[in-house]
Amino acid sequence: MLKKILMSAVLSAALVSNVYAADRVKFDFWHGLTGNLGEVVAEVCKRFNDSQSDYEIVCTSQGSYPNALQNAIAAYRAKKGPTIVQIFDAGTLDLMLSDAYVPARKLMEDNGYKIDWDDYVPAIANYYADSKGVLNSFPFNSSTALLYWNKDAFAKIGKTEAPKTWEETFDALKALKAAGYECPMGWENDTWQIMEQFSAIHALPIASQSNGYKGLNAELQFNKTKFMDYLKLFKKGYDDGLIKIKSPETGEDVDQAFANGNCQMMMESVADHGSIGKTQKPGMNWDVAMLPVMAGMERHNTFVGGASLWALQGKSASEYKGAAAFFNFIAKPESALFWSTNTGYIPVTKSGFEFMKAQGFYDKAPYKGREVAIASLNASPVTEYTRGIRLGGYTQVRKEIRDAFTEIFANKVSVDEGMNAAVERGNIVLRKFEKTYAGKVMP
Amino acid sequence: MIERTPLLNLATYTVMILGAFMVFVPLWLVFVGSTLTVREINIPELHVWPGSHFFENVQAAWARGHLGGRLFNSLIMALGVATGKVVMSALTAFGLVYFRFPGRMLVFWMIFITLMLPLEVRIVPTYAVAANALWPFQSILDVTGLTDLIQRFSGIQVALEWNLLNSYTGLILPLIATATGTFLYRQFYLTVPDELLEAARMDGAGPFRFLVEFLMPLSRANMAALFTIMFLYAWNQYLWPLLATPDRAGFGTTAVVELKLLAPTVSTNGGGTPDWNVAMAGCLIVMLPPLLLVAFMQRYFVRGLIATEK
Amino acid sequence: MEKRATFSKTSIGVMFILPQVLLVFTFFYWPTGAAMYWAFTLERPWGGGNEWVGFDNFRQVFADRAYWGSIFRSLVFAAATATLSMGFGLLLAVACDRGLKGYQAFRTVFVWPYAVVAPAAALAFRFIFAPEAGIFAALVKQNPAFWNPAQNGYHAMAMIIICYSWKYAAYCFIFFLAALQAIPRSVIEASALDGAGMLRRVFDIQLPLITPTFFFMLVISITDSFQDSFGIVDVMTDGGPAKATELLVYKIYFDGFRGLDYSGAAAQSIVLMLIMMVLTFFQFRYIERRVHYS
Repeated sequence: MLKKILMSAVLSAALVSNVYAADRVKFDFWHGLTGNLGEVVAEVCKRFNDSQSDYEIVCTSQGSYPNALQNAIAAYRAKKGPTIVQIFDAGTLDLMLSDAYVPARKLMEDNGYKIDWDDYVPAIANYYADSKGVLNSFPFNSSTALLYWNKDAFAKIGKTEAPKTWEETFDALKALKAAGYECPMGWENDTWQIMEQFSAIHALPIASQSNGYKGLNAELQFNKTKFMDYLKLFKKGYDDGLIKIKSPETGEDVDQAFANGNCQMMMESVADHGSIGKTQKPGMNWDVAMLPVMAGMERHNTFVGGASLWALQGKSASEYKGAAAFFNFIAKPESALFWSTNTGYIPVTKSGFEFMKAQGFYDKAPYKGREVAIASLNASPVTEYTRGIRLGGYTQVRKEIRDAFTEIFANKVSVDEGMNAAVERGNIVLRKFEKTYAGKVMP
Repeated sequence: MIERTPLLNLATYTVMILGAFMVFVPLWLVFVGSTLTVREINIPELHVWPGSHFFENVQAAWARGHLGGRLFNSLIMALGVATGKVVMSALTAFGLVYFRFPGRMLVFWMIFITLMLPLEVRIVPTYAVAANALWPFQSILDVTGLTDLIQRFSGIQVALEWNLLNSYTGLILPLIATATGTFLYRQFYLTVPDELLEAARMDGAGPFRFLVEFLMPLSRANMAALFTIMFLYAWNQYLWPLLATPDRAGFGTTAVVELKLLAPTVSTNGGGTPDWNVAMAGCLIVMLPPLLLVAFMQRYFVRGLIATEK
Repeated sequence: MEKRATFSKTSIGVMFILPQVLLVFTFFYWPTGAAMYWAFTLERPWGGGNEWVGFDNFRQVFADRAYWGSIFRSLVFAAATATLSMGFGLLLAVACDRGLKGYQAFRTVFVWPYAVVAPAAALAFRFIFAPEAGIFAALVKQNPAFWNPAQNGYHAMAMIIICYSWKYAAYCFIFFLAALQAIPRSVIEASALDGAGMLRRVFDIQLPLITPTFFFMLVISITDSFQDSFGIVDVMTDGGPAKATELLVYKIYFDGFRGLDYSGAAAQSIVLMLIMMVLTFFQFRYIERRVHYS
């Protein structure tokens, strides 16, 4: 039935009217990147707009991932949402369980694009795909965690290679300490590197039900795995002064401490590879390697980090056409090259990676080393517990774990007490989430 | 009053100078921060003396934050909130104090309660209202069955819509919908002697003339105080403009929102390097207009609060 | 307190208050009502079904140790900021009120912090208190445990209290100075003629006379500290370390709009509203008394 509008007092219309380019279809893309990364996104949008004349994408930074999520929700509820929104890993499940999005595959098929879905790097595709392996959103800015190490400092202790196991790592840390380095490794109470990636590399369960992929009744389990031994080892390293906490609240954050040559190692996202290169102390030699494994354990793939792009419901067919054209555009190998050159993010498709390799991207100095991230994601076939994390309210769960880390490393509670409390509080969040979505089937 | 109290005077000056020092230190450090390079500011030591990059940082902040347009938006919003609040409060308090009608106390409490729940905690539903300010009324029509009734008789479906997002109206109205100023005015009216009204009546003045010609001139100082307070309140708003102005390319947003974007946090921006020197320069620019206003309004400001407060 | 002389036309009176009532209804009561509805259901952030769960959300909130912790911290924050900002505000107001030469310049300066944008102030103080870069850097070098707001909850709390008080002391100063200057000079002069010294006059005459303002400020600063702390916490500590600076409004914001637990946040909002109601009730009593007084 057609709705007739009896009254519409659109006072604000004049302020947002399309004054120019009336025949181009305009649509919105909201993202959470700022600073240098935000500027690159703006550049990508400009390239898209310049590449064709039918659509005009309007890209808006909402200031941060959480802001992008929360603003998109508020706008969607008010039926003013953007056509495309970037949602970070922790916000994936809420959206997936809603009716608020147009599945990526459907969007592309409806608009006549043929996408080779198998081309996506499995560790990336699986993280965002539903239980049947179908992608609902487009992986966009993707990264994974790497070990950054200072070659100059390692030369001082007679080493030329990055450590491969944690045992070697701790030997190196001790040697660095003995050689007079005040901060052998910098760290900030971040759960992603230490808990999530460690669990992935060793295929340890973070939660039951295959880390939540099989059902909303998943329960956190990381306090019962080998991760606990590792955390204790890590804590001991901290107590011995081998690991230092660096946070923006203390002055330098981890990245700055590494780039200034004050900390000799760190576990950090490959996305920061570019900014470390730009801000490093002149002449400093450093490199990246895969995160170490525990000796005698098999190495598995790491988790992808970053965010994916979703098409939201309630838009016109022509806007969806534009969105599909944009997704098609950013999936091109040339776009991948542009994106990875200007940020530290990695290409999300195999063909993009091959294209960049063929272009000699990874041979040149500032970008050399980033191929390690792809190798890390491809370290093994994706298995039950290395697929990803599909837990509801995960922002809150992460916060509980982070709070526990903070208390553990401030010597307020023991490792066991802290992690058990985090699991207990995290499970309350999961149960509430399960109840909120009662009757919903995991897609 | 002339008294010789050299020791006390010395103590008084000491207190005032220490106070001024405490006010100045943070402001000075912001200024110093805005004069350094990225590298200098990231070196972990306290910089006490300014560097030489002030204008470059100010320029960078101005350009990157689009501060020209943003400051204009902030100005319009703050002026709108301050003016709207003054007018609205003067009217409402007048109605409440000088009239007797049923439900007056109910209205009084209804407005009073708005003091108790900050915007931050009801922000999502407020956003929905801003996206369609007529939603509440539409819902009332729907629930009472009036929508159906109208449709049955006229064949027209009522769909009220008034989108306030990305508009000054949308930035301003929700911020006016609180009780602060109403109370300042109420207190003020209550201190006005009853004889004034009687004298005005003798003059043959009706309610409106009484308000405009008798009360308004008397309340000039209150007005200045309330105006200043509300201007600062609106200028400082962060969360609401962040949500209410999604169209950054067109309408833009306010200066304070942009300020927060200039200083991204590591955990939320996906790894961009925060350059605090530019952020500090942005801080200075954004701080300036309210400081000027307060310096300018200060005389009235203090006087306006005497005996009435808030 | 009621006016004896009033206008009699009811319809005109209603006209005067109608705009405000409409505005408050649309932008306060309607959204608040929606939030209240969420408090009794399980609201899905992206919309869709929501199930009525009665008081479950409230039960969960009250069973949560972290929530009680946040109430306790909010009270500590309120008490500390009220003491500091009112103390300094009063001290500076008394000093300025003496009207010594050049006090106008000081008065101007003392009002400044009130005009400084909260996020800007918070950014500045984050710098000042950064253990490796700020004013404590030298001491921290000798003893890292001396100051570390990133790990030590007490330090972080102290930091936000100082920042908030810095801004709020200026606000208190304005009110106290206004109150002091409202005291008729004749009263003070009379007592000076009686031979009362300056300090004596402050304690025996001026301070007792501004007691109503003092109580008024006490309640106002407590309620304000609940509401206005958000920006400072958000910029300085994000509620950390380990929830040590998680005040009520910040927690509501985080749980609701970061954690997407709309219902839990809505339940917390209602509890906060009840707390504020009690406080505002007291505030109201003091305003009324103040009017009788003058």
